[in-house]
Amino acid sequence: MKVSLSVAVATGKILTALSRRLGFGAGSNFPGKVILRMRPEAPEEIASRLTGGCVLVSGTNGKTTTSNLLAGMLRASGLQPVHNKVGANLMTGITASLAQASDRRGKPRGDIGLFEVDEATLPAAIKRLTPRMVILTNLFRDQLDRYGELESLSRKIDAGLKGLSGGSCILLNADDPLVASLGGESTARKYFYGIESEDIGEIGLRHAADSKNCRSCGEKLSFSAHFFGHMGKYSCPNCGLERPAVDFAATRVELKGTAGSRLDISTPLWNLALNLGLPGLYNVQNLLAAVGGAELLGLDDHNIEAGVEGYSTAFGRGERIPIAGRTLFLVLSKNPTGFNEVIRTLGTEGRDLPIVAALNDRIADGRDVSWIWDVDFEELAPLARFIIASGTRAPDMALRMKYAGLDAARLTVEGNLKKALDKAIERSHEGETIYALTTYTATLDMRRLLTKIGVAAGYWEAN
Amino acid sequence: MPGMQLRICHLYPELMNIYGDRGNVITMVKRCIWRDIAVTVTDITLGEAIDPADFDFFFIGGGQDREQILVCDDLSGDKGQAVRQAVEDGASLLAICGGYQLLGKYFLTYTGEDLPGISLFDVKTVGGDTRFIGNIAVDCEVDGIRAQLVGFENHSGRTRLGPEARPLGRVIKGYGNNGEDGTEGCVYKSAVGSYLHGSLLPKNPRLADWFILRSLRRKYELEELPGLDDALENAARDAALQFTMKEKRFRKRFGR
Ligand SMILES: [Zn+2]
Repeated sequence: MKVSLSVAVATGKILTALSRRLGFGAGSNFPGKVILRMRPEAPEEIASRLTGGCVLVSGTNGKTTTSNLLAGMLRASGLQPVHNKVGANLMTGITASLAQASDRRGKPRGDIGLFEVDEATLPAAIKRLTPRMVILTNLFRDQLDRYGELESLSRKIDAGLKGLSGGSCILLNADDPLVASLGGESTARKYFYGIESEDIGEIGLRHAADSKNCRSCGEKLSFSAHFFGHMGKYSCPNCGLERPAVDFAATRVELKGTAGSRLDISTPLWNLALNLGLPGLYNVQNLLAAVGGAELLGLDDHNIEAGVEGYSTAFGRGERIPIAGRTLFLVLSKNPTGFNEVIRTLGTEGRDLPIVAALNDRIADGRDVSWIWDVDFEELAPLARFIIASGTRAPDMALRMKYAGLDAARLTVEGNLKKALDKAIERSHEGETIYALTTYTATLDMRRLLTKIGVAAGYWEAN
Repeated sequence: MPGMQLRICHLYPELMNIYGDRGNVITMVKRCIWRDIAVTVTDITLGEAIDPADFDFFFIGGGQDREQILVCDDLSGDKGQAVRQAVEDGASLLAICGGYQLLGKYFLTYTGEDLPGISLFDVKTVGGDTRFIGNIAVDCEVDGIRAQLVGFENHSGRTRLGPEARPLGRVIKGYGNNGEDGTEGCVYKSAVGSYLHGSLLPKNPRLADWFILRSLRRKYELEELPGLDDALENAARDAALQFTMKEKRFRKRFGR
């Protein structure tokens, strides 16, 4: 079945509206799948009509935060981005977002495409959307049961970047040795961002580190500063490989727990002093990626500042929701590195914390839950007054907590998320913060639950 | 059990630890501590020699191709022989996935890389063009571990048992060694190779205790271990077994 673009777009819009009404949320792949079946070239056709071209943001962690920050900066400059907002980051989701933003003839109501793209989808997305810029945040061993190994993934991304035209550019995270090594054979211009301030670095690599061997000779990299995961300032003692010089740098970082951080950022054009309302060093890197993207797209410093100021938290990534006289702090925690960063942030919140940890094993989470053994829950256990393990794999999560040193009196298994939340409210005090650490679909479940209770609006209606 | 000590050697912890394999070491350590058995963990990596008399239990996890090549090279000389010697002398050992492959006769990868193993296990592995990925349940056939084991497998290697080799068990659901002959893993003396991530030992405490008992018997007169409260371990295993078996029925019904 092959139809005209306008029919495909109209069908996609109807299906998107329908799937929202049926409560599938905006991340559903179904409308995009139908559009691609009806007219395979629909995304190319719509994207080519965007006067400002397309920007793709990819990587394991931070895609959504980075692209949301950049979207805010673009809006502050008066541009209207076409943006896949809620993690619909496969070709189907991007197609649905393009159709949703188009009029009946497939002409987009927007100036520039800004898409977060799943790492494994990036090569295909580059081919189809001919982006003017690709931003790569980091590559961690995440959901490998879907993608095969990190090595072959980075080879495919490299091949994808090779297909970029000479006029486009690539913005890479210099702190990630694997990401920094990409794009070598591409004719596109390369830029780097990274953290230059050294006093926040950790000593020694944590367990979740993936890419700590030299990309060119295999020798163990040496780190003069270590931020988290395999991120830091590194060099190879054997072949002399160095972390690339950084164009967009955080020269001073002051972390303030879940309240965020204060930063000095230096770029080729400006020195910026910014307050970021997102916790953790990983969000400092996300901000650097967005600042770099904005400057390379020609925005000025006022747009960047306004974008950061007006930024409302990306869906699920560190939201504070008032509930029953308490605050529910909902944090997406979906892989070892992300989880370790969250645990480190919680360490600045104090002790005696009420915690709900929900582990799901649906396809979007990764069916394999082995990764919880790579998380340093040994550091979470002493912070917790109690932990309620929940989600489809609640017993696995509980078992991990037991072996992390949480005694039986502080550990509860409650697979049902509603009951887990009720128990957390019951066992916490008025005015306290309950920390909900949830994997991807568990975060969706929690939001759906909160919407049902009536304490949070449906996430597709937010902003 | 005061006065007893178990010495663990964790081989290549930073190179061979994919899908949470270190959970197996965490489990060994905790189950010793809970029984008042002194326990030490020594990380041994590239270029570091091993004395077979220094350790009672060895662990090696899975890794990606690049890491496997480095480890294969490192194990090729005296070091691999030292590991074999320790097992011959009664030490126990657990090797998962990539580690299991490197302790066999060879691993011929799909991209044509020929990685010779240390021949501790009489198995040969050849890379395939697809990966075996999913939850797996196994009927364990080893004396003293008559139990069902659960885990998650993710490998492209197809492993064939030689005439001398005994499997760890029979696949109830999943692929196992090669997806064809129904076997999973390999056992030689107190050494076990397996494709089960998961991590394997936390949800299979009887297997963990088998390793502890075997390791201690090398040095001490010992009939059995004092029991532990394994309610949480068993609940997690039963839950995993249950949905793993459900997946099987689902697939059958749709003819896959
Ligand atoms: Zn090097």
